[in-house]
Amino acid sequence: MDDAAILAGLEEIIRELFDDYDGPVTPALAAADVEQWDSLANVQLMVLAERTFAVRFTTAEISGLANLGELAALIRAKQG
Amino acid sequence: MSAAVDAAREIAPGAGPATTRLIEAQMRAFPEHEAALRKRFALADADPIFCETLAGMIERIAGETLAAVCDDYRWLAGAVLEEELFFRREGRYRLTSFAEAEALVYADAAYMTRYMNGLLLSQLWWANHTAVLAWFRDRYLPANRPGARHLEVGPGHGLFLHLAASDARTSEATGWDVSPASLDQVRHTFAALGKAPPPLSLVNLFEPSPEQFDSICFSEVLEHLETPAKALARVHDLLAPGGRAFINAPVNSPAPDHITLFSTPEAIVELVSGAGLVVEELLLAPSTGASLERARKFALAISTVIIARRAD
Ligand SMILES: C[S@@+](CC[C@H](N)C(=O)[O-])C[C@H]1O[C@@H](n2cnc3c(N)ncnc32)[C@H](O)[C@@H]1O
Repeated sequence: MDDAAILAGLEEIIRELFDDYDGPVTPALAAADVEQWDSLANVQLMVLAERTFAVRFTTAEISGLANLGELAALIRAKQG
Repeated sequence: MSAAVDAAREIAPGAGPATTRLIEAQMRAFPEHEAALRKRFALADADPIFCETLAGMIERIAGETLAAVCDDYRWLAGAVLEEELFFRREGRYRLTSFAEAEALVYADAAYMTRYMNGLLLSQLWWANHTAVLAWFRDRYLPANRPGARHLEVGPGHGLFLHLAASDARTSEATGWDVSPASLDQVRHTFAALGKAPPPLSLVNLFEPSPEQFDSICFSEVLEHLETPAKALARVHDLLAPGGRAFINAPVNSPAPDHITLFSTPEAIVELVSGAGLVVEELLLAPSTGASLERARKFALAISTVIIARRAD
């Protein structure tokens, strides 16, 4: 899957989970930009991403990503 | 004034001095928690007067060890996040038996102390915990009959038991817990708040006892048990006819010692009715910042609190 396809999949998850957020979903989007994106919601986001893209993250990856672009890159690397 | 105090004031502009000092200490121990604290104190229901009373109590209980207690909260937040990950992946809680929880948590004094210290701060940092404690003080206790004999099963950090023992309507209070470390913490809480501790016993709820009480607090224990229906039947039998119970259990709330998963508040309400108790009042307090609708939609934690009465 290329980055654009991965980002489109992530955008779908973000729009569903963070339904109060109506700003742009770009690779620069980070938790601090989205009111509903707290540490617990982040776990939900990552597990939804695991299911959608058939990958598995480590605990460090789950709490250590800076923004959506990094997440997309990680998913692409894991998909090989 | 130091930069840390300025930062704490900015996180919770309407907060009193004790709340501000606690935020400052927590920020020092756990700076990554800033956004969560900001969100918590931006909520309309963050009643600054109750928060300040609670912060004053927590400050006295923590005393000289406040920095360590704040570290314990940081540890608890991490432990909860790990359980959250398991829960979201598997759709269930990690532990399945009381024996596992007892060995891992209740019987391990160091673990239990850290856990209860973390839980002590969660009373202020988690909006649902604050709401439950406020409801206990302002809604539940005032309707007890004068002279009420009160029991708390699983007092943990001792805040609920202290509020009950301090209520003018309570004639006698007592606490039962399976964890010696928890009973030590209750003793410490009472000493720190300048009150003689009530009788405390190392008792499992399921052990037979001929005693009966007019009031029972059973808060955040049900989800720790393998047989919640039997536990509620015990609460029923421990109540004198006409006696009242404050029953609090969370849905979708993974934690290191949670065993029984309730997926909806209604499941808990049904269990309570099924034990022959009359449900009189219900409080649903979703996790910090979530509406009830959102909490239901995304299976977030909801503290489910029931004031029930034994009719016969
Ligand atoms: C999470 S703490 C609850 C503390 C406090 N009641 C609150 O709501 O914040 C759970 C407490 O229940 C105790 N406990 C667990 N199983 C029990 C049982 N079968 N009988 C008595 N106490 C029990 C634990 O040792 C612990 O102190």
